[in-house]
Amino acid sequence: MSRELDLQHVRPYADHLGDGLVQMSFTLPVPYSLAARKAALELAAKMGFEEPEVVHYEQLTEGYTYFVMYGRCVQSVDFASLQGEGFDIEYMSEEEIERFAERQLGRRIVVVGASTGSDTHSVGIDAMLNLKGYHGHHGLEGYRAFETHNLGSQVPNSVLLSKAIELSADAILVSQTVTQQNLHVHNLTELVEMVEAEGRRSQLILACGGPRVSNELAKELGYDAGFSKGTYPHHLATFIVRELAARSPQPAPYGSAGDVAAGDDGAGADAAAVTG
Amino acid sequence: MAHTLSELTASASRLALVGLAKNTGKTVALAALLRELHEAGRTVGVTSVGRDGEEHDVIDFRIEKPAVELVANDIVATADGLLRASGIPHETIERTGIRTPLGEVLVARLRGAGSIEVAGPSAAADAREVADAMLAAGAEQALIDGAIDRRAASSPSISDGLVMSTGAILGEDIEEVVTRTADAVALVRVPALEDSRVRELAAALEPGSGLVLDEQLNTRALPASRFVLTAEPPAVQELLGEGVPPRWLLVSGALPESFLRSVLAWARRARRQLTVVVADPTHVFLAERGLDFYASGGVELRALRAIDLRALTVNPVAPASHSFDSSQLRTLLAERIEDVPIFDVLHPAYPGARAPSQRAARRPAAPIVTNRDAQ
Repeated sequence: MSRELDLQHVRPYADHLGDGLVQMSFTLPVPYSLAARKAALELAAKMGFEEPEVVHYEQLTEGYTYFVMYGRCVQSVDFASLQGEGFDIEYMSEEEIERFAERQLGRRIVVVGASTGSDTHSVGIDAMLNLKGYHGHHGLEGYRAFETHNLGSQVPNSVLLSKAIELSADAILVSQTVTQQNLHVHNLTELVEMVEAEGRRSQLILACGGPRVSNELAKELGYDAGFSKGTYPHHLATFIVRELAARSPQPAPYGSAGDVAAGDDGAGADAAAVTG
Repeated sequence: MAHTLSELTASASRLALVGLAKNTGKTVALAALLRELHEAGRTVGVTSVGRDGEEHDVIDFRIEKPAVELVANDIVATADGLLRASGIPHETIERTGIRTPLGEVLVARLRGAGSIEVAGPSAAADAREVADAMLAAGAEQALIDGAIDRRAASSPSISDGLVMSTGAILGEDIEEVVTRTADAVALVRVPALEDSRVRELAAALEPGSGLVLDEQLNTRALPASRFVLTAEPPAVQELLGEGVPPRWLLVSGALPESFLRSVLAWARRARRQLTVVVADPTHVFLAERGLDFYASGGVELRALRAIDLRALTVNPVAPASHSFDSSQLRTLLAERIEDVPIFDVLHPAYPGARAPSQRAARRPAAPIVTNRDAQ
């Protein structure tokens, strides 16, 4: 077994490089029994795992058995070919975001969020926007730099867009559980199309989040960024402040007042003064 | 004599390709167009408001996607990382400064042939800008591929012509696919408004505003900003029911289905005809009912600028689900849709160039279901 990292053949790591060990858990709708254990082993083998092993199983409730298994994954991915695609954004901490927003933008950033269409899940939006946040990271509501409006769930796209226009929002954040059903995807694309029809696309940052939303999906949907599981509010906040700074036609100067570039307008000088 | 996609679309300098849903074969149509244009020795510019040429579907990984094959001298507008990953030698014409979730968009001239993932600007106005940049750099035609069911790039303010794609993915029943496609085609072909006086008033509207006109063209403003986006039925009833009966309703921004429903309710109750005028068909958002439904109640739609629909392509296969007989689907569509050539570019009857036996030509096998209604 190779002990040197081969980026063209990357496998899961447990004890040593390339061992391919995977831990997984799932539930089968069968009674807790030796037959259930056998079924889990057979299923893991069918998934392509070598040396599958049940390390824990228990009755979840009558007729259901929960398993924790190990298995050896023989597949690998070519990580080398994936590097350099897109951009890897460096996230800022909350304090860095506040300072950046103060210097570069010099005003509060208005974000309107909702779960759109028929989606009743507001957990994602709440975690990103509300003060409570999650996992000890509070939401954008807790930042000095942000003014947030959480419209809740099942909000029609036209209502969300109207609110964003009314508030002169900088960004719209929508959360949607994307499934293979076209309906959910349609809800997300419809918002983008309505923003276009209202002539507001260049003035609004559009971000979408959901359990299956990647940057690739966001690109197809027409959004400026996509956020999925594992995203914390400061990830979203970093993206919004950086994007706004990049979009402002005359970016405020970086650093001290001495760095003020020629031709900067009053707003830029003000922002510099705040940091000075 | 039979015309090919490339012949039918040749006069559109900026050609938009739009699908009615995911997996309707938009990229397959793009691949067919590219083959024909390359065979004719034409220099092509390609961009996408979404992402094209990726190996697997972004939502359903089981679905393989067709490749986008370009040749030397073609011009492409795509994210810098994707351009590098293609390995095709190229010369950068412009760094656009347009940012996408996949990186900054570059306009580049290819120095060799190969397959490439194309992800250009997402916003329609930016797509227009790079299309113009590609034409200025020597492309004879700029192709703007859509994504999923996004239509904004087909606006006449962005592109000069449109190829639309539909497919079995729209429904398990062939009649449902035909009806939904016919409705979408009718919407895309909303006729241009003829009355020049009304045109003038519509053209002068501020973005996101509206105006009510009576038969004598006396104007009445909408009661609130963003009225069309949010008005509840009673408010619409009040607006249209007061004073001299309205004949025209001009809307400069988005026209959502909920608003059009309220207008229809008024027209039915008042037994009056009303024409709603929009900037172009991409501003109209209908999901449940087609234009016929509104027209039968007295509400007609007109556009300040019409879309030039050149062809409709058909994918008879819904990946990992079901499929229809290609000829039958095209025949049923032709019965409902007049004056638009309908193609299945992978069918032997298609007059265009044959696909080489690559990813582009492979169509996943799915059981053919017979038409339940038409039998």
